[in-house]
Amino acid sequence: MGMMEKMDELSATGAREYLTFRLDQEEYGIDILKVQEIRGYEPPTRVANAPNFIKGVVNLRGTIVPIVDMRLKFNCAKADYDSFTVVIILNLRHRIVGIVVDSVSDVMELPPEALKAAPDIESVIDSGAVMGLGSLGERMLILLDIERLMSAPDMGLVSSGE
Amino acid sequence: MAETHQDSGGGGDIDLSQFYQIFFEEAGENLDLMETMLLNLNLETADDEELNGIFRCAHSVKGGAATFGFADVAELTHKMESLLDRLRRHELQPNAAMVDVLLESADASRSLLARHQTGDTSPAAPTGDLVMRIADLAAGNAPPPPVAKPVAAVVAAKPATPVVAGQRQLEIKVGPLAKPEQADAIAELFRDIPGLGTIHALSSDRKDYRVFAVDTASTDDDLLDLFTFHVSREQIEIRPAVVMSPVPVTPVEDASHGFFDGAPGAPEIATAPAAVEAGFGFFDGAPGAPVSAPEVSVVPVVEVQGVAKTVAKAAASQAAQPEAATIRVAISKVDQLINLVGELVITQAMLAQNSRALDPAVYQQLLTGLADLDRNTRDLQESVMSIRMIPMSIVFSRFPRMLRDLAGKLGKKVDFVTQGEATELDKGLVEKITDPLTHLVRNSCDHGIEMPADRLAAGKPETGTITLSASHQGGSIVIEVRDDGKGLSREKILKKAKERGMDVSDQMSDADVWGLIFAPGFSTADVVTDVSGRGVGMDVVKRNIAALNGTVEIDSAEGFGMRVAVRLPLTLAIMDGMSVGVGDEVYILPLSSVVESFQVKSDAVSTVGQGSQLVKVRDEYMPVIELEKVFQVPRFDFDKNSDIMVVVEADGSRVVLLVDELLGQQQVVVKNLESNYRKVPNVSGATILGDGKVALILDTGALVRRSRH
Repeated sequence: MGMMEKMDELSATGAREYLTFRLDQEEYGIDILKVQEIRGYEPPTRVANAPNFIKGVVNLRGTIVPIVDMRLKFNCAKADYDSFTVVIILNLRHRIVGIVVDSVSDVMELPPEALKAAPDIESVIDSGAVMGLGSLGERMLILLDIERLMSAPDMGLVSSGE
Repeated sequence: MAETHQDSGGGGDIDLSQFYQIFFEEAGENLDLMETMLLNLNLETADDEELNGIFRCAHSVKGGAATFGFADVAELTHKMESLLDRLRRHELQPNAAMVDVLLESADASRSLLARHQTGDTSPAAPTGDLVMRIADLAAGNAPPPPVAKPVAAVVAAKPATPVVAGQRQLEIKVGPLAKPEQADAIAELFRDIPGLGTIHALSSDRKDYRVFAVDTASTDDDLLDLFTFHVSREQIEIRPAVVMSPVPVTPVEDASHGFFDGAPGAPEIATAPAAVEAGFGFFDGAPGAPVSAPEVSVVPVVEVQGVAKTVAKAAASQAAQPEAATIRVAISKVDQLINLVGELVITQAMLAQNSRALDPAVYQQLLTGLADLDRNTRDLQESVMSIRMIPMSIVFSRFPRMLRDLAGKLGKKVDFVTQGEATELDKGLVEKITDPLTHLVRNSCDHGIEMPADRLAAGKPETGTITLSASHQGGSIVIEVRDDGKGLSREKILKKAKERGMDVSDQMSDADVWGLIFAPGFSTADVVTDVSGRGVGMDVVKRNIAALNGTVEIDSAEGFGMRVAVRLPLTLAIMDGMSVGVGDEVYILPLSSVVESFQVKSDAVSTVGQGSQLVKVRDEYMPVIELEKVFQVPRFDFDKNSDIMVVVEADGSRVVLLVDELLGQQQVVVKNLESNYRKVPNVSGATILGDGKVALILDTGALVRRSRH
């Protein structure tokens, strides 16, 4: 699906709500409907032979949930674990994944006209996973297609062949 | 079925498809039950109750099939029903040919139903032949049965007199009803259905009751089936209006059948226990009824009530299945419940740990509350776990039929004995254990039990016995397949093993020799039959059972028989685990695969070739796997190192795992890692420890395979 089509789809459905979070100096937004809950960070159980950004698995009320550190995934300068570090639990097509971010800012409603197509730039993020840029006054929001990002083969979250 | 169609009472345009699944399940159960009853049926002493039970099953399937428009099933079961009907009315004497044809018909119905269920549109196996054979038997054309002396005795004991119901005058009382007008619909039935009879309302002494005088040729059951379109069964009371002299017998039976062919899922016929005793349905409430049930001092009133229904049902199933009222629940709901309770247990453990430091004098109430919580959570966990448990009889019940066919094919005589059918096992395990057990039972029949002549020559009874038993032993269930056949031959196995170039010696212990038959492709059968003997089997059995964390043991005495014992954990969801520490991490080993553990000095390990390590344990060299390397465990404390060896066995090989420490044994709840993540090499799952942390469960099978190359 091309960028413009995606934008068209968004504008057709009108304004959407996004959960915004911080990674280092950047601010990101994801579709609020994909978010199940937000939790504090607790050290996960390491899983051998996993990429470095998969911190391991945690127990979420009896379910084993993998934890991805977005700061490591996006090559942020530092990835500290402090009292602000939070885990956003995502529910993506019946799979539950937790992502570690520096902090969660707020929930924003973005009208379609506030969305701009992202220019083609070189980035560690697969350009297909960036839905667009949202401008809110002086702030710029990078809107992620989190489902696409998480199911990409290089995330190593799903067994190959699935 | 009964429930659904009562709920749908009154509405003619309901969508039936939502009941399909329930119908398929019920029909399957009814066919299974019928098969069991047919197999248990003693032809010479068959009593009314057994025959009625079988009839009821066929009847229920037929009613349902007709309702849902499965004409082929309905036709076949209708024929079965007609034959059974004549049997239960003692117009025919049951014989083996009938049992055979009925069993075949049950199979045919099953496959027809399966086609409907899967929506298969390919041409079905023709049932015309079966239908004709049944009709033939029902017409009494079969070879005449042996002298019916014992039956005569039965008949004398329970005088099953008037066989066909004539025109009867009944008084039908309906109520209590919130809206008595509902009952008027019953009166309309009589107007709408030609030949049903006549009805007129009588005055009722109570406002919420309606009373009718009915003149009909139909049986009480047929009437009830009809009435339950409008009012529930419990609200109907039918009794003969006046005792009158028997009306000349008219063959109305077929006519009355016609009425409920189209009735939705004609439910199991329910009558009061007295009626069951007397021989069911057709003459309940008939003029002769008071005579026909003299041993019961109940007025001949067919009062259909919930309780009576249960009693009748229980009596019919001959207490074989101790099932009371049950509900069907999706297994995912139960699993969710188990998950939540597991979570509750962890939370409770955490609270208990945190409260330990509190001063009992100050926090007495809180601590008492926590103690109660502890007890209650444990009870709750136990009850919830028991939901998934189902009795072994579900598995066992399929074998009598299989053995009957198999023994017939092989020309052998076999008695089948089951013990401990009530032993409960996790549903997931039951499904997975069925195939290995089937294989073992087949083996016993094919290889174990000798031909009747050989048995007599060996001084054994002509009929062999295969025993299937289940029992709880500690935290596991032991299922045994025993036979009194020829047993395993030590010489033969050793000879075969040598021929195959296996490493064996004549000094091997019996247990080791028996273990050889688990080798892939191993068979001692002289002749390969289509039943078994191809050498695929025991290895698969062992592998399947090992996959369930179970073990197989063989015991045998040549000439006297053989015993195969399968030991399984009670549930798949819970496993006995041994927790081991490596660095700062905790891993769980399935206790069933742990052989022993010991401490070693580093010089006991010798290196071979490309860095593979071996350790000598007693007289055996075993490959060493360092968990620290396999799982890339980071080391923060360099003083510590792995010096504990745990010998694990899987797939028949042993390896030694090198760990830092043994932390203890515990029951762990097995969680799937792949539902949200992916398969991790050498890990079979995960569990949640007492502190809420996740620990990975090692896949010993994979570790053993890894060491092989």
